[in-house]
Amino acid sequence: MDKQLLGYKGIKPVFAVMLLLTVLQGVSILIMAKGLAEAVSALFAGAPLSGQTGRIAMFLGAFLLRHGLGLLQQRIGSAFADRTAAEVRGRVLRKLFRLGPRFARTEGTGHLVTLALEGTEKFRKYLELILPRMAGMSIIPWLILAYVFFRDITSGVILLVSMPILIAFMILIGLAARKQAEKQMDTFRVLSNHFVDSLRGLETLKLLGQSREHGASVAKVSDRYRTATMRTLRVAFLSSFALDFFTMLSVAVVAVGLGLRLVNGQLELVTALTVLILAPEYFLPVRQVGTDFHATQDGKEAGAVMQSILDRPAGGPADSDGAPGPGADWRWTPFSRLTLSGVTVQHQAEAYGSAPETDGAESGREAGADRPTERRTDGAGQEERSPQSPQSPRALDSASFEVQGMQTIGIIGASGAGKSTLIDVLGGFLAPDAGEICLNGTPVDSLAGEAWRSQITYIPQHPYLFSSSLLDNIRFYSPEASREEAWQAVEAAGLAGLVRSLPGGLDEPIGAGGRQLSGGQAQRVALARAFLSDRPMILLDEPTAHLDIETEYELKQTMLRLFRGKLVFLATHRLHWMPDMDRVLVMEQGRIVEEGTHSGLLGKGGAYDALIRSQMEGVR
Amino acid sequence: MRKEGWILPYVRANWGRCLVIIGLGSLALLFAAGLMFTSGLLISKSALRPDNILMVYVPIVLVRTFGIGRAVLFYAERLAGHDTVLRIVSSMRERLYRILEPQALWIQSRFRAGDILGVLSADIEHLQDVYLRTVFPGASALVMYAAAAAAVGRWDLRFALLLALYMFVLVGILPWVSLLMTKAKTKLAKTQKAGMYRQLTDAVLGMGDWVISGREAQFLADYEAKAGEAARTDAKLRAWVRFRQLAGQCVAGLILLTMLVWAAGMHADGKLPAVLIAAFVLVVFPVTDALLPVSEAVEHLPRYRDSLRRLSDLEGEESSVKGYENGQLSEDQAAAMAGGAVHIRVDRAGFRYEGESSWTLRDISLDIPQGKKIAIIGRSGAGKSTLLKLLEGALAPGEGEVTLNGVPAAAIGEHMPHIVSVLNQNPHLFDTSVANNIRLGSQDAGEEDIVRAARQVKLDRLIESLPDRYHTRMHETGQRFSGGERQRIALARIWLRNNPVVLLDEPTVGLDPRTENELIRIMLDSLQGKSLIWVTHHLAGAEHMDEIVFVEDGKIVMRGSHAELIENEPRYRSLYQLDRPEALLTKAN
Repeated sequence: MDKQLLGYKGIKPVFAVMLLLTVLQGVSILIMAKGLAEAVSALFAGAPLSGQTGRIAMFLGAFLLRHGLGLLQQRIGSAFADRTAAEVRGRVLRKLFRLGPRFARTEGTGHLVTLALEGTEKFRKYLELILPRMAGMSIIPWLILAYVFFRDITSGVILLVSMPILIAFMILIGLAARKQAEKQMDTFRVLSNHFVDSLRGLETLKLLGQSREHGASVAKVSDRYRTATMRTLRVAFLSSFALDFFTMLSVAVVAVGLGLRLVNGQLELVTALTVLILAPEYFLPVRQVGTDFHATQDGKEAGAVMQSILDRPAGGPADSDGAPGPGADWRWTPFSRLTLSGVTVQHQAEAYGSAPETDGAESGREAGADRPTERRTDGAGQEERSPQSPQSPRALDSASFEVQGMQTIGIIGASGAGKSTLIDVLGGFLAPDAGEICLNGTPVDSLAGEAWRSQITYIPQHPYLFSSSLLDNIRFYSPEASREEAWQAVEAAGLAGLVRSLPGGLDEPIGAGGRQLSGGQAQRVALARAFLSDRPMILLDEPTAHLDIETEYELKQTMLRLFRGKLVFLATHRLHWMPDMDRVLVMEQGRIVEEGTHSGLLGKGGAYDALIRSQMEGVR
Repeated sequence: MRKEGWILPYVRANWGRCLVIIGLGSLALLFAAGLMFTSGLLISKSALRPDNILMVYVPIVLVRTFGIGRAVLFYAERLAGHDTVLRIVSSMRERLYRILEPQALWIQSRFRAGDILGVLSADIEHLQDVYLRTVFPGASALVMYAAAAAAVGRWDLRFALLLALYMFVLVGILPWVSLLMTKAKTKLAKTQKAGMYRQLTDAVLGMGDWVISGREAQFLADYEAKAGEAARTDAKLRAWVRFRQLAGQCVAGLILLTMLVWAAGMHADGKLPAVLIAAFVLVVFPVTDALLPVSEAVEHLPRYRDSLRRLSDLEGEESSVKGYENGQLSEDQAAAMAGGAVHIRVDRAGFRYEGESSWTLRDISLDIPQGKKIAIIGRSGAGKSTLLKLLEGALAPGEGEVTLNGVPAAAIGEHMPHIVSVLNQNPHLFDTSVANNIRLGSQDAGEEDIVRAARQVKLDRLIESLPDRYHTRMHETGQRFSGGERQRIALARIWLRNNPVVLLDEPTVGLDPRTENELIRIMLDSLQGKSLIWVTHHLAGAEHMDEIVFVEDGKIVMRGSHAELIENEPRYRSLYQLDRPEALLTKAN
């Protein structure tokens, strides 16, 4: 039994009511059987129908009561399941926001969306089913059994013995089926993915001139999949076969036994009929459990996954929910000072069992066939990842530096050097595992609080466009801004030309459901957001590398305008940004290895020079 | 073109199997009824206390047969059902593949948003349920219905009609009413769910923005409200199902009551032996149990509609897009071209998409003799992809000419993959071994060829280090192969293919500068002697190109070799300074 189950709010009274209803249901089943059996045996004995009205009424009343109670029970269970599932979903969503975008990236977007949507639905189904099933199993068979024993001991013994046999066989066969399924798991995965894989690779096949021949292999593999599936199903269906077989056999044995004892005169017809009517009812609860087994199992697992997210320690924000520490002034002014000393972040790879820190971790997971949303993002996002396991176990290794007031800081380094991690720490998406962050000399727990975040604009490599109007997207950070203000931001971001060309203008729907924008245009939408919200601090994570050189050139001019009078952290591997930065942090394997200005670092023969050289190598 | 449905043709093609399944299914239901009937008969006969046990021997045997038989039949029916459905899925998949195959080159641009291919594939899986949950059980229940009515008809035709009417409430009226009642709500539930899906995707993909903008609470409240609405719709649907179940049970109770009254009356008239009263009453339970699920089977129907619509829409549009069409080029001509030198000429070519007023490309001229390397640079939407499609022959120019050795590119048709290779942004690596993935370049490549190809793209050492070396499955390497390495596998295919012309469609997008440079060098080294047409977004490697062409708004605005452009074009100079670290050094010195 699921221990978690008892922890849900209000489950105890619900279950108590459920038990009571089940007892009443059991009693009505007995009355129903009694009434019907007595009426039929009286008719059999030659009594007129008119004399049986009372018994028939008893039967009908019990019959209706039984199904009415069933309806009531379902309704209570359903309402409880609705309530609880909604509550758990709310908690999971809140937790997801606390865990932040980094967690969403490592877990896989599609996975999380599916969990929140389908997972909640499965979990609800589980809650809805499990209570009546548990109540049914724990009361009905035993009530019936007791009554049958009371009326006819032999039949009672037959029923009593067949139940454990039936359950034992079901479990045995279930185990065998699982073992076989596990044995074939790999084959299954390959065979079942083959079709989606073929569809996704269709363009590649076509370009290689092999798409036509491949059609035959689609059918062939599909057929092999059928053979393999049938092999497993033959075993898997045996468990419901056992259920059926033993129930029916048991009913048949009871019937034959009753017949024989009737012949010998040891029994009366009315008893025999009662027992015969009750025998299928005795097995009904266990059959229902069998039918719903997969649904409950799925739901239970979904519940466990959600619980594991809830149990995950949330970095920082959970504890310091935006409440500024004593004396800390979170507002960033030209006189503010931020100090990081020895800030360290362990590698996330171990924690989540996923790809190492990268900007485009999602591209590696194309194999996941059923993650629709994930595909949407990795269309062009193939970011280079350090191929082998990283040499440094730390994504960020004792980073120490201090910034004061408004300045632009370039963070440069190869992929996997820890640039994104540093940006995530500064944005409060990631709580450091060690080290200290001080604001104006006062230590703060983390930067995850609302007060800090409200100072920041964050511009990633692929800014996300919400399925909404262009205007709403631009006003995302400041929903209260007027149209005029938005329009000014549009002009500042260099989007005016695009907006004029759109049939809907500012109200044109964009994002997944609307007009598709190019990478450069999406970046400009993000810039317009930044212009509009006018927050004092900007974090940028590789904002231009994927764009064509001309777009990059133009965007750079716009961005430099945006940067004026702000604190800017720009993480990139594009060297051309560095001459425009007030300060350069050079990163290597999680460490800040050099610090200075572009011209100061150039020609020093240090890490910065090495980085320039490494980018020149290759083509030469 | 005549549209074929996605359900009926498969029933027709598998009618023998379907018949067997429905036969087994209805027999299983009949056996369940038989069990209760003979049991009732058995105990009634026994209650008469016959002198000889042999008098009840037949019912005893029947009771056992029906009891065991039902389980066996049901098991057989499920297996046969799944086997047939998987066969049907097989042929549906092949059909879907054949529909999509001709438009392969357009799939990306047509279905840019979302993972339509995954959705289509899931649609087919979804259609399995049409058979397993609606067609087969529904048909079996109908057979049961007919059999029950016919059986009673042997005793009393008028009562049989009455009973048939009652039962019709269960198999006809209730399902029909249920369908009407739930149709609108099911649709609403679907829309609401799609809305939630979109909203959640927005939340998860745009989480950084939500968190930083401080609008999480607003989102959560919004979402909870939407989810609550959806839950209410759902709850209403479930409430209806509960009500429908109760109504069905009431009808079942009514049938039982009628049966009892009828049996008693028949017995009183001496038309029915007493032993059959219990049998007739008891048999009502399994019969109504068999008929009750029909409503549920029918209620499922609206859920398949979207899948069906998506699949049949696909076929409707099939004719409007084209891929490589059967060209006029003969086998020999194509082979000659593939083996020898290819001279590509683009002569004042222009292209305009159907229904659009402005030209996507205009007045483009290129001269690419065998071995020439040209780079094409331009913003997204400048017309680069269209130019590539013209060169691939997937589109025919609206004006001017695109020719390979004098043959129009569009006329080369299906031979094109033997002359021109393409490396694009996202080459697909299939879920099979590394060797098989490389072998896609040329099916008759031996082991050594594949090793040589891997060496060419400098992947040999990495592949040697994999657990199963060349036979390691791609799935297991997914985590290990980075973007640059995946591109190199695709490049190995192209090397193996050995076509005289290679189109490179931004293969280095998203790679970091070092990997980008590495890949460019490997490309240039391994593709020596080939004509290269390289659409690129950076200027890395530009020095090695014979010509660099800038496309803007469908026209060529700047062209020349690297040296010429540096010399003459200030714009090129500033771009080059931005892109190449060399410029940083010179600027500082």
